Amino acid sequence: MKIFFAFLLIIFLAFSGYHLSFRGFRLPLFARKFYLTGTEFLFLGLLLGPGFLNILDPETLMGLEPLAALLLGWIGLLFGCQFEIAKLKRYPMEFFSAAVLESLFTVVLVFCGVYAALPFFAETGEMLRISASVTLAAAAACTAQTGIVLLAPGTVRQNKKTVTLLRYISSIDGLSALLVFIAAFVIQPSFTSGLWSREVGWAALISTAACSGLLILCLLFLSRRRDESDLMLLILGMAVFTSGTALIINYSPLLVNFLIGFCLVNFSRDKERIFNILVSVEKPVYLLLLVFLGAGLHLDSFLIVFLALGYWLFRFIGKLAGGVMVTLLGPRLKEHPGLLGCGLLEQGGLAMAILFDFQQRYSCETVSLLISLAVLGIIYNEFISPHMLKQLLRREK
Amino acid sequence: MENRYKIINSIAVNFLILVLLTLFALWMRTLDINSSWQKAGLVNMSLGFVILIAYVISKEGTRIYLPLISGYIFAGIIAGPYVSGFLTIDMVERLRLIDDLALSFIALTAGGALRLQSLKRRRTSILSNITLQVVIVFFAVFLFVRMSGKYFSITENLPAAKIVVFAILLGTIAIARSPSSAIAIISECRAAGVFVETVLGVTITIDVLIIILFTVALTVSKIFLSSSGILDASVFIILLGEMGFSILIGAILGKGISLYISRIRHDLPLFLLFIAFGVAKTSFWLTGFMEAHFNIFLHLEPLLICMSAGFFVQNFSREGPFFMESLERMALPIFVLFFSLAGASLNMTSLIACWPFALCFASVRMAGIFCSTWLAGTLSRDKAIHRKTAWMAYMTQAGVAIGLAQLAERQFPEIGVYLTTVVLAVITINQIVGPIMFKAALNIVGETGKQ
Repeated sequence: MKIFFAFLLIIFLAFSGYHLSFRGFRLPLFARKFYLTGTEFLFLGLLLGPGFLNILDPETLMGLEPLAALLLGWIGLLFGCQFEIAKLKRYPMEFFSAAVLESLFTVVLVFCGVYAALPFFAETGEMLRISASVTLAAAAACTAQTGIVLLAPGTVRQNKKTVTLLRYISSIDGLSALLVFIAAFVIQPSFTSGLWSREVGWAALISTAACSGLLILCLLFLSRRRDESDLMLLILGMAVFTSGTALIINYSPLLVNFLIGFCLVNFSRDKERIFNILVSVEKPVYLLLLVFLGAGLHLDSFLIVFLALGYWLFRFIGKLAGGVMVTLLGPRLKEHPGLLGCGLLEQGGLAMAILFDFQQRYSCETVSLLISLAVLGIIYNEFISPHMLKQLLRREK
Repeated sequence: MENRYKIINSIAVNFLILVLLTLFALWMRTLDINSSWQKAGLVNMSLGFVILIAYVISKEGTRIYLPLISGYIFAGIIAGPYVSGFLTIDMVERLRLIDDLALSFIALTAGGALRLQSLKRRRTSILSNITLQVVIVFFAVFLFVRMSGKYFSITENLPAAKIVVFAILLGTIAIARSPSSAIAIISECRAAGVFVETVLGVTITIDVLIIILFTVALTVSKIFLSSSGILDASVFIILLGEMGFSILIGAILGKGISLYISRIRHDLPLFLLFIAFGVAKTSFWLTGFMEAHFNIFLHLEPLLICMSAGFFVQNFSREGPFFMESLERMALPIFVLFFSLAGASLNMTSLIACWPFALCFASVRMAGIFCSTWLAGTLSRDKAIHRKTAWMAYMTQAGVAIGLAQLAERQFPEIGVYLTTVVLAVITINQIVGPIMFKAALNIVGETGKQ
């Protein structure tokens, strides 16, 4: 019975949160930032989770795993649908290269940092060490647009070029992050060291075959124009089916659905209608994800606060150095401020989804610790990023 | 020519989809499923598989004029534990959560579909139909089971007294209808009119009435088997009290929904989903809680609460049309899930075990319904076409009948197994035949597409 009430509770939270969060109430700056991004739902999840009220105990969370997978699938579809090649082509190729370079630089730096530091505070096998480092690096590469979107129109007008570049980079960053994240699912901790290359190849083959099959299925379903209600049913059915299939083959529902979303937005005639359906429940889905992620956090030790600070620092350096490199790339990019990375600190929803996906797949104490520190790192960024963005734009002015 | 090409193309695409879905299902079944994450994946994959396959089969079924819900049911049967075994019995049980949610949602729709004005207008016809159907169907089935009990293998070993009890219980269960199927067919055909109003009024009222009738049947059966009991009036007073309380809660909930619509309005489908799920689960929990902690046997009827809520929003507020529109938007996924899971739950083993008896039972029930609706139509001076076709609208049976059979099984374990087997078999027949006949009836009376 507990699982039903937990389900009721989180539906209620998502529903009420949907109407209360993401609104610009007149609150003090610190609280407003917190409130606007729905971060409070992370803490709500933590409160409901095993660490405090234990309403979402491990057994209940396990019972709600199908829902968690569906949420990841839905978010994957949504992100995939945002990468429309035709729209991305409107910007110069230099922008694309800049975005990829900046995110890959962050990935490499954070990966090296996490990989090197991990043995000092957690015991892991080699494969888990690699895949965990990849996940944290992928999450670090993500950039959210929330801060940029919330800029005052006057500020946007005065810094139009930089804001455009920042927006572009933050929308492309996710692509690199997800491509890197694939490695975390191909290199599985259960693989034996001696045979790992064969096992990685086999895992890659299975996931490619499954993704291709699901993609064909999806395109077949959408090869004809459907009514609104039929389309809604098909999207729901496909999201449930693909996320389920991904879990069975030990793959990521986020990645499979991202790929499907990407193909749908680029090859389907119904892309607008599909996107509207997906986006209609975006906020409750995102808030539920935060509640789930929060429930899985383990903030038992004070050490984690410092570890999170270390993770944040690596990411900060990666973004900053990546930003500097970007401005040296070409004549069009040289006109932007060197500290471009200061505007790319906010991590947002995709990073959370990546972390949650990994946490669900490899639930163990070490992973939980790593995810917790990464989430704390995201929260640090939530507080620091608006200030840094403001500084960057003030300098440019 | 172009139209023909389109049809062939569409069939080919759907065929390819079915092949691909089946291949995926077969592939997934060959993999080892160990972790909880993979088990969760299996639940999701099965659910998605059922949704998609039900959608494709139902769309193809419409080419041969089958109602959509028949497609969902067939898909459920094919995917279910008794045919392909892709959905195991355990998995169907795990998906009950969705079933309860869907049923409450359909009950909201059923209540909302009842309009006080049309009920008043059709009261003679509705009342005569209810009275005659209850009496004639009950006696037809009772007499059939009583007289022929010795000739069927499933009942031949039962002593005479138990055959009588068996007949009383089956006679009562035969009265039960499936409002969910009726609502789904009416919604699909966008049907409206006098015939639809009567059918809805009769079906939903019988759904409420059957709870009282079955309590009477259980009490009489107990007296008959023990031969020393008396009819306890307090049982009925409590039952009526519980029903009244459920209706009252429904009315309060209805008021809440109409307030939500007038004040907030947006995201009503999500809110209604929350209400439907909340009502279903809270009712069950409250029943258990009151019994365990206070020794009070309070049995709330979630379906009655939801029906009453829907009825109050429709008839005692200005928000009825918007409420129904919102329900309509959510109807397709709900119907697909509910009926395909219902199809997966249909017990083919029972049907194979007692098909001669089940077939005769279903035929007698059909004959009883025909006589009662024809007589009721004559008494209330309905159109000749309505009199002749009304029986076709009352064949469907589903969850309520199964619930009643399971209740009887707990009360009379010695005959309960036979009862459940027969009821499951008859429901399988009625749930396959019923929707097809109802859709045909709506076409014959010409009320399709009138909404």
